[in-house]
Amino acid sequence: MTISDETLMAYADGELDAAARAAVESAMRSDPQIEKRLIQHQALRRRVQTAYSAELSEAVPERLLMAARGVPSQPGGRNVVNLQEARAAMERSAPRAPSSRPRWQSVGALAASLMLGVAVGFFMWGRSPSPFVVGPGGALVARGPLAQALSNQLASEQSPSSSVRVEVSFLAKSGEYCRTFSLSADEASPSGLACRHGDEWQVQTFAGEPAAGGSSDYRTAGSGLPASILKSVEGQIAGEPLDQAGEKAARARGWKSIAP
Amino acid sequence: MNTSETPQNVHEQIVTLLPRLRRFARNLTRNPHDADDVVQIALERALTRLDQWHRDARLDSWMFKIVRNAWIDELRSRTRRDKIFLAAEAGDSVGTDSMARESDLMSVQSAMARLPEDQREAVSLVLVEGLPYREAAEVLDVPIGTLTSRLARGREALQALLGTEGETP
Repeated sequence: MTISDETLMAYADGELDAAARAAVESAMRSDPQIEKRLIQHQALRRRVQTAYSAELSEAVPERLLMAARGVPSQPGGRNVVNLQEARAAMERSAPRAPSSRPRWQSVGALAASLMLGVAVGFFMWGRSPSPFVVGPGGALVARGPLAQALSNQLASEQSPSSSVRVEVSFLAKSGEYCRTFSLSADEASPSGLACRHGDEWQVQTFAGEPAAGGSSDYRTAGSGLPASILKSVEGQIAGEPLDQAGEKAARARGWKSIAP
Repeated sequence: MNTSETPQNVHEQIVTLLPRLRRFARNLTRNPHDADDVVQIALERALTRLDQWHRDARLDSWMFKIVRNAWIDELRSRTRRDKIFLAAEAGDSVGTDSMARESDLMSVQSAMARLPEDQREAVSLVLVEGLPYREAAEVLDVPIGTLTSRLARGREALQALLGTEGETP
């Protein structure tokens, strides 16, 4: 009688009913090979269990004990797990750490002038000329090297000579193409999000000052983008970011929006 | 065995499960930091859904499933994030070094870390956590036959990696 390996494993795992167990035991008596195989399965099972038994006596971190008991706790000092947490953390901390000089502002119709102030103010500190101008509609419009980079530079082919890095390109829910940029290769450099509107790159979000001190938590692992930009991307993106072929195709069509 | 459940009672039962939840999460994530984050997310989810736990169901299986789903969600958002940021998270490597113990025991864990995910899950639930096949299949949302074949392949792979020394002390 042949006994399959799966049956022997099930025997070792205590998963067989009495009749099946009896069949295995009777087969073992007539065939020592079967017994040998069973002993191997049992030994492996014990070995795995033993190897993992020490973990059960490790001290459980306080934050997990609190979470299990339903006690709300702040996330630990580790890097942020996900965007939802990053957002929640930003929202939690925003009222506690008021700043006289906002780090970033989204451009809504109402906030445009305020953000313009931030952006222009930033460049008046000495990084002139400003890569932005105010467009006819009051929007902040990229110009000069920034505008050129947004129109021509592929994320996959950064030019070392360019002062601008373009990082992520995507199609927004509005049907417009949008791209994130940094104004230098430095991770902490000012960065933003611009979308192609008509023949212009309108700057939607701009983080004019590198995240400082405690807010470094909000830079998600693996990205040099501040959470504010990240949040804008997440809010506007339709589907996935463009890959290299997608970027090339979009560039070939002049980043003209796809009419909804 | 759970005849009168008060919420506090369930909370304390979950507390007693924590070491196993962490161990299971480490086997899933292969990284102790990720494991604790995933367990924390799972705990928060579980507490908002305690009404969905049927008292005749095993609390450990129910929690394992929530831990696993939390990890799947995290992986999805990571994939998405990685695509957004092109730059992959450097240093997100297998964290077995920090779990190093005696060399023999280490070899079991490093062998486990090398198993494909579906086999590692099956071995982890049945051999490490001691769940019956039916419960493990339920946690993984697969038929029992799928579970047992993953388990068999996982065992064969472990055996091949660890050597067939029969008995160990």
